[in-house]
Amino acid sequence: MYAVRNWLIGGVFMLALIASPADSRAKDIPDSIDLGSLANLYGKVKFNHAKHIMLVKDCAECHHHTTGTLVQDADCVRCHKNSGATAVVACKGCHEAQPFSAAALREKSKTAYHTDRLGLKGAYHQSCTGCHRRMGGPTGCQDCHARNKRGDAFYSAGAYAQPQAHEEGKLPGN
Amino acid sequence: MKRRDFLKGCIACGAAATLGVSEKAWGIGSFEGYPDGMGVLVDLTRCVGCRSCEAACNKEQQLPAPDAPFDDKRVFEEKRRPTEKAYTVVNRYDTKTGGGPVYRKIQCNHCNEPACLSSCFVNAYTKTKEGAVIYNSKVCVGCRNCMIACPFNVPAYSYSSALNPVVKKCIFCYDTRLKYGKPPACVEVCPQEVLTFGHRNDLLKIGRDRIKEKPDRYVDHIFGEKEVGGTSWLYLAGVNFDQVGFDTTMSNEPILSNVKDFLGIVPMVLTIWPALFTGFHLLATKNKNHTNHEDGHSEQEDHKP
Amino acid sequence: MKRHIANGVKIVDSHYKVAGESKWDLKDKLLLGLTPWQYIIQAVRNPFNWILAVIFAVGLPLIAIRFIFGLASVTNSSYDYPWGLFLCFGLFAMVPLSSSGFMLGTTVEIFGRHDFEPIERLALLNGLLGYLFAVVYLLVDLGQPWRLPYPMVVAYGPVAVLFLVGWHVATYLSVQVCEVSVSFFEWIGFPVGKQGVRKITLGLTVSGIILSTLHQGALGALFNYAPGKVHPLWYSSAFLWLQFFVSSIPGGLCMVIVVSTIVLKTMAWRCDANFLDNLDKLTISLAKGASMGLITYLVIKLMGIAHDNKWEYLATGWGAWYIFEIGMGVILPLILFAYSIRRKIMGLIRFSALLTVFGVVLNRLNIAMITFNWKLAEREIPRWREVIISLTLFSIYLVVWRFILYRLPILYTWKTADERATAKEPARGYVTGGETEPAMAGTYRSRIDERSGIAAQQWP
Repeated sequence: MYAVRNWLIGGVFMLALIASPADSRAKDIPDSIDLGSLANLYGKVKFNHAKHIMLVKDCAECHHHTTGTLVQDADCVRCHKNSGATAVVACKGCHEAQPFSAAALREKSKTAYHTDRLGLKGAYHQSCTGCHRRMGGPTGCQDCHARNKRGDAFYSAGAYAQPQAHEEGKLPGN
Repeated sequence: MKRRDFLKGCIACGAAATLGVSEKAWGIGSFEGYPDGMGVLVDLTRCVGCRSCEAACNKEQQLPAPDAPFDDKRVFEEKRRPTEKAYTVVNRYDTKTGGGPVYRKIQCNHCNEPACLSSCFVNAYTKTKEGAVIYNSKVCVGCRNCMIACPFNVPAYSYSSALNPVVKKCIFCYDTRLKYGKPPACVEVCPQEVLTFGHRNDLLKIGRDRIKEKPDRYVDHIFGEKEVGGTSWLYLAGVNFDQVGFDTTMSNEPILSNVKDFLGIVPMVLTIWPALFTGFHLLATKNKNHTNHEDGHSEQEDHKP
Repeated sequence: MKRHIANGVKIVDSHYKVAGESKWDLKDKLLLGLTPWQYIIQAVRNPFNWILAVIFAVGLPLIAIRFIFGLASVTNSSYDYPWGLFLCFGLFAMVPLSSSGFMLGTTVEIFGRHDFEPIERLALLNGLLGYLFAVVYLLVDLGQPWRLPYPMVVAYGPVAVLFLVGWHVATYLSVQVCEVSVSFFEWIGFPVGKQGVRKITLGLTVSGIILSTLHQGALGALFNYAPGKVHPLWYSSAFLWLQFFVSSIPGGLCMVIVVSTIVLKTMAWRCDANFLDNLDKLTISLAKGASMGLITYLVIKLMGIAHDNKWEYLATGWGAWYIFEIGMGVILPLILFAYSIRRKIMGLIRFSALLTVFGVVLNRLNIAMITFNWKLAEREIPRWREVIISLTLFSIYLVVWRFILYRLPILYTWKTADERATAKEPARGYVTGGETEPAMAGTYRSRIDERSGIAAQQWP
């Protein structure tokens, strides 16, 4: 009788262990993130966060020192030697969507640090494609986000391309 | 005499106004740019040649559709320059350093003391306090001296128009954006944030900081900081600038300085020549029968056979 | 024309057909005293007119095309080479050759050398037509030529060198028109105008020198805007404007020699003894002046190279071209002048003058077009349409030259001795054909009589 009870407790315990997530904070980590701030030219990026966690392992590779291994870069250590993880980890928490608006410039002029912080779009691309180039990931524009109709019009491409573009061997001039 | 004085006055006042310093004469004053002037720092180590900036400019300035889509990379096979249909172009340079191709965005550099402005005889160009060098097509006569003067070969001309050919160049999106404190279209669209918009003075600091923090990544020079008197569009690069199409032989003096000596001579000649030649006349003709009323011609007629 | 004269036709050279009797009217003056039929015959017989006809047949439509369809239809419409043949040849090359106006004006009026008078009017006309057609070429080249007056009245950019050029050329054209108007007033019979201009001739001449110095120099200073674009051998940071000014002196003087040679060969019938007898002597004097200009020019060109220490460029391909330009255009003429002036070999003097003219033209073309953008990989060759239009405009220039020289008293002296005899009679204020002339009682009477068919009265 006690053997059955012990087995049951062990089994339930194992199930609970297996079913629970690996990290207690991980209930906030999204597996997939939709990045939609693309000036309406492209469709959303379906970012496979879970896959990147598996590939990259150290959160700090993308999230700087806000999470994962903390401050390493000599230029950052100067001030952030004792800094811990931050509350907001998402890129858009620190990187502005509109880094060059008059308001943003005013804010920048008030601080003596982080004056060269990238905007959100620049941060995504430099971080993502930078690493992709090194690691063999997708680097083309449409590899991560497909152009929509407005994008086609913007780039004078696809349905909006000029007829000459389809001629073979003709070098497009301006 | 009145017209000459007017001309002298015009030259003196015009020069003083353009140089932005009152009453300072030639050779002393120089214009460092308006203190709150904006600029753009172009970091060539970040550019990947996606040409989104060209597309954004095309839309913002309502330029005609291009011959090839803006994502067509075949255009990089030849070196391009700004044209009447494309105020900005990106060129690819295959350097030997093994770091892959370097891409460079070309557009008007919005100089502090623009050569185009200095050479325009109808004052069609204006350097606004936001830093943009803009153009007034309503007074342009089409002499194209600005195209001769621009050391960066930027202005293009709409030769194909018979009735209203005008100069075409990047205007820093002044009418639609800069005037309202917004960044130009190319800056806003660039995915790699190659283009950093801000006050020119702040950009110089940022540029220097980038070089200091990553000395292996950047060549220790901000192109446009001092060249031809300083430009509002500044460049950082990871290879020597002459390898990516920049003219590194440019002097730090604005183009205007090259003609200042001649312009200074003008009032001298206007003043000295009359006395000099009247003097010659008096000295040469004192004892001769020279009058300037009745003709020498009529004297000859009397002697005609 | 020579055939007509040989047949006894009398060409207009005074106000009167026969002294004291019937007067030429404007139509006669325009047709040179020939009947319309005679005029047409001589025009058709002239082989030069056949060449002109061909040029105009091709060129005039092209000029129309330029204005209807824009510059892109006739030029290479280049962004890197904005200035093409119209400006580089028509303006930059023709202006230094037209400096003869102020030079001969100065010689005669300022320095009192009235022995140069036989050639003075030709030189003044050369100056006027050269500048006038430089403006014509400019109007064909400008994007919006109807806006040419803008820098005068609408928008001012006084710091620009071109502003100075524009104002000076406009003012100088007015000065030259006044100076040539003396001949015109003689021809048209308006002595009041002539006297008026003669009164201000000294002032006009001094203005002419001032304006010419400055705008000949300013055309050079225009290229100071592009220090990196003109080849270092041709470019001089400090002296380019001086080199342009000094080279205009032999340019203008030699152009007068060249023009007088052409006149001698093609229209000697129009020249009177005053011109022909003095021409050789004056040509030698002009050649001496040109030689002095040339040697000065040579030295300041070398000084320009020394000043910026550009000697090593002489060893390049461009250097060879430079040596050719200096050699053919400056050194060779100097040697030939030195040889021929002393021995008074007129043919050689005239040939050297032609070489000098080519040298000046080549220099301007080199700076403005050929070595321009020397750092760029591609040279631009002007489109054939540009060449034809330039040739057509030049032909129009020659036609205007010929038109004026045939008629106005430039090469010959207007016979007005009989006019002067009655100049003191009280004015009758007769108005004939729209012009009012003082005095001339006899002339009016004879003219009215001629028109009404009454036999001409004898001259009192």
